Amino acid sequence: MKTTFVTLIALFAFISLHSQDAAEILRRVDANLSSENRVFESEMTIHGKRSSRTITSKSYAEGNSRSFTEYLSPASEKGTKMLKLEKQLWIYSPSTDRTIQISGHMLRQSVMGSDLSYEDMMDDRRLTEIYHAVVKGQAGMDGRGVWILELTAKTADVAYQRQLMWVDRERYVPLKQELYAKGGKLLKSMELKDVVQVQGRWFPTTMIYKDMLKQGKGTEFRITNIKFDQKIPDYIFSKASLKQ
Amino acid sequence: MKTAIKLAYRNLIGAGLRTWLNVIVLSFSFVIIIFMKGIMTGWDYQAKTDMTNWQIGGGQYWHEAYDPYDPFTFIDSHAPVPAGMLEEIERGEAMAQLIVQGTLYPAGRMVQVTIRGIDPAQQVLQIPTARLDTLTDDIPALIGSMMAKNSRLNEGDYVTLRWRDAAGTFDATDVIVTGIFATNVPAMDAGQIYIPLDTLRAMAMLPGEASILTFRESERQRPGLPGWKLMSKPELTREVDELIKTKQTGQTVLYGILLLLAMLAIFDTQVLSIFRRQKEIGTYIALGYTRQQVVGLFTVEGSMHAVLAALAGAAYGVPFLAWQAKVGWTLPMEASEFGMAMAQTLYPVYSVGLVATTVLLVTITTAIVSYIPSRKIAKMNPTDALRGKLQ
Amino acid sequence: MIKFLLKGLWRDKSRSRLPIIIVSLGVMLTVWLHAYITGFMGDTIEMNARFSHGHVKVMTRAYAEDMNQLPNDLAITGADSLLETLKTAFPGMEWAPRIQFGGLVDAPDEVGETRAQGPALGLGIDLLSPGSREDERLNLSRSLVRGRMPDQAGEALLSDEFAVKLGVNPGDDVTLIGSTMNGSMAMYNFTVSGTLSFGASIMDRGTLVADLHDVRAALDMHDAAGEILGFSKSGFYEDDDSREMAGSFNAMHEGSRDEFAPLMKSLSQQGNMGQYVDITNTWSQYISLIFIFAMSLVLWNAGLLGGLRRYGEVGIRLAMGEEKGHVYRSMIIESVFIGIAGSVIGTMAGLFLAYLIQKYGINISGMMQGASVMFPSSIRARITPVDFYIGFFPGLLSTVLGTMLSGIGIYKRQTARLFKELEA
Repeated sequence: MKTTFVTLIALFAFISLHSQDAAEILRRVDANLSSENRVFESEMTIHGKRSSRTITSKSYAEGNSRSFTEYLSPASEKGTKMLKLEKQLWIYSPSTDRTIQISGHMLRQSVMGSDLSYEDMMDDRRLTEIYHAVVKGQAGMDGRGVWILELTAKTADVAYQRQLMWVDRERYVPLKQELYAKGGKLLKSMELKDVVQVQGRWFPTTMIYKDMLKQGKGTEFRITNIKFDQKIPDYIFSKASLKQ
Repeated sequence: MKTAIKLAYRNLIGAGLRTWLNVIVLSFSFVIIIFMKGIMTGWDYQAKTDMTNWQIGGGQYWHEAYDPYDPFTFIDSHAPVPAGMLEEIERGEAMAQLIVQGTLYPAGRMVQVTIRGIDPAQQVLQIPTARLDTLTDDIPALIGSMMAKNSRLNEGDYVTLRWRDAAGTFDATDVIVTGIFATNVPAMDAGQIYIPLDTLRAMAMLPGEASILTFRESERQRPGLPGWKLMSKPELTREVDELIKTKQTGQTVLYGILLLLAMLAIFDTQVLSIFRRQKEIGTYIALGYTRQQVVGLFTVEGSMHAVLAALAGAAYGVPFLAWQAKVGWTLPMEASEFGMAMAQTLYPVYSVGLVATTVLLVTITTAIVSYIPSRKIAKMNPTDALRGKLQ
Repeated sequence: MIKFLLKGLWRDKSRSRLPIIIVSLGVMLTVWLHAYITGFMGDTIEMNARFSHGHVKVMTRAYAEDMNQLPNDLAITGADSLLETLKTAFPGMEWAPRIQFGGLVDAPDEVGETRAQGPALGLGIDLLSPGSREDERLNLSRSLVRGRMPDQAGEALLSDEFAVKLGVNPGDDVTLIGSTMNGSMAMYNFTVSGTLSFGASIMDRGTLVADLHDVRAALDMHDAAGEILGFSKSGFYEDDDSREMAGSFNAMHEGSRDEFAPLMKSLSQQGNMGQYVDITNTWSQYISLIFIFAMSLVLWNAGLLGGLRRYGEVGIRLAMGEEKGHVYRSMIIESVFIGIAGSVIGTMAGLFLAYLIQKYGINISGMMQGASVMFPSSIRARITPVDFYIGFFPGLLSTVLGTMLSGIGIYKRQTARLFKELEA
């Protein structure tokens, strides 16, 4: 009797999660990942056919419309800056002292030879804005309980129409994502690790991207320092700041 | 004149082997010049025919943003097929192609490709699009042999194709290679993959749209369509003209040397005739011929080599040239590496004009070369000539 | 007797001069023509060699696999030391490291922001080292439309059509945006020194040519090269030699499992070029054969004519009691000398002419709409070892044969009629 009761409770909890809480889970994921603005330093490790290299950068991002990134190392990349305002992207390279506007078509090319395109990097709309979520099940992952969420695009202009997302049940942080093509083919996978608590949020600081259609070891993205809701001066998001 | 020709003919035939050697050499000039020029005409014809058959039809309308050399433009270069063209497409006299940039993943490698949506039932181009009309659950795809070689794909292979729809959403699927075709038009082969038009339109969420329209009929004056630019056949085949002009120029030197060679023989023959037949010349003059008439006689005699050569050339040249026109000439020219339409085997095309101008050219040259040594006759003293005492 | 005959030929110019002139002319034409045909027919091979294939090409094995994708991430590293090795191992060759790449060319406005932009094919070649022959190989100087060749670091050439599209003039700056050897984004400024016509729209639409050092710096490819092209010093492709060279080079790395070990391919081992090389050789031979045959007929005829010229002389000699066989033999020996003399003179003259056309080319630019890279403005002859002896076939054999045939007439002449003939 007692076991039945517990089972019923668990079942009830699960069902309620299905219907109502998938959206809630996603909202809480957004609460962890999205912010008014953020300032972070990161390392990106790209595994090439011959060698791997690591690029470090410092970024300022505000909502999903404005971001500014400055590359810190290696020497060849140092001082290169990228400014994104809405759908436009400018790149400044100190060696040429030029500000190049990257046309829409180029945004689909890979960033620095990684498995990420500029668009991938720039699209940081809140998940709840673009996806419907459904809980598909629960599982364990690296010793943590996770919900498996299926996300389906609400709007047409989304790069990946469907995602599977493994969300930590306690911390509301995705630990794994699979990005699918409209036709259902798996295109990219992301592993998210090293979750730390920053300013009351749980945040994965390591992400491993992999283009599933291509051979290769993927791209590792590690955040070494992140701060949310900072006062970012407005000039950062201006073309003038590129040349500074 | 009739006598002159009769005399010339008898003299030539009488000279036997010497005449025939000259005639054979001269006949080579005819046959080789006609053959080589025929090859060039054939090449021109074939390159343009290949382009017509495989790529451009009778001409095309390009979406105004379409630039075949800039795949980044493909994302913007599509529009609904203009109403004015629909009926022509319906009749099979024109066809629409939708062009989308994509990425192919043969064996885990990434290859940028141009996806061409093409109507499997189209008859305007020779691309065997009927091969796309197969019963399969997967998307059928057609590729050229160069593409197949470069991406190491065979018929029946599955390969992952990724593209983005009009809204930018990624999509990918495995397509099955249902056909591999060989074409001499590299633009339609390298980096191109063909799938059914309606499938691509659905895939890209561009129903009813196209990037280029190809029509069969080249003669008709075409109206401008707003949003589309008209590309006429001469515009699309301009490069072929350039290439052929280069090669033709190089060949002219060959003709020149060949003619020079034949003329050397004629000249030598003429000089000797005049030297050996002084008495004959003296006799003609003694008989009341003017010197100019005698010069004429000898010139006619020399020129008659060309006439005989034309006949001799025809005797073996006609069957040879006809045979070549049938089996073709495997041309030592690899222009496909430069992205030009080029067949490995060319079929010479001979026109009446070509044959006539060649005969005329060789005959006039021969006449001139025959005339030059004959002028000497005009300076001869007939009495000395009669006695054979000249020189 | 030989001495006597030679003396006769020498002193009696009418016996030697005209026949030798005719034979020389004929042989000269033969030699010249053969060299021209070889050059003309091989022109496309050389075009391909100069432009992309080299007579041999060294790449990494991995690069060779995906050659058509310009995979610079698989380029040769340590190119300079490899270059030295190649120079030492194959002293008969000239080596040209090159980098082919793709990218964007961006033209700035007054404040340095993007005004116009377009995709480009790029070619990094050695333009600035003294003694580099790349300009000549690619016919660049002659294909200039505007401006001049780069003469210092940081300068580049654009295809003219592209420059017009970008609104760029010689002297203006453009930025190349490409990707480095390891995939990072690369940006590099060039000053456009001049613009080029390529003659093929795929190139005219967007091509940038710059010095190798600049391209290396731009793409972070220090001491690297996508490919090292080898050209024989003679300037002409020799298939057997090139294959052999590739074979011996590759044998050195046979044991290596490294996919970045260097690999050499002869021109004929790249793409469809092998088939093309074969066809070219076959057809050059056919065409040469036809011409040599024609030439032989001409000289045969000249031999016949020569015999006839000496009809009177032979008559006198016979009348004086010289044996027919002796006259015949002496005439044949004379014709051998004439043939040899004519062939030697003709071969020399022919080689000289061919050399001029090999060196300077026949300028056909007047017949073309201006020069361009893909369509050279001149056609060149090519002297091969064959040219040194090929003239002797028509020159010697045909002359002698002609004399032999015409000389048969000697035996038909009747001594009784000789005086009657001579009286006339």
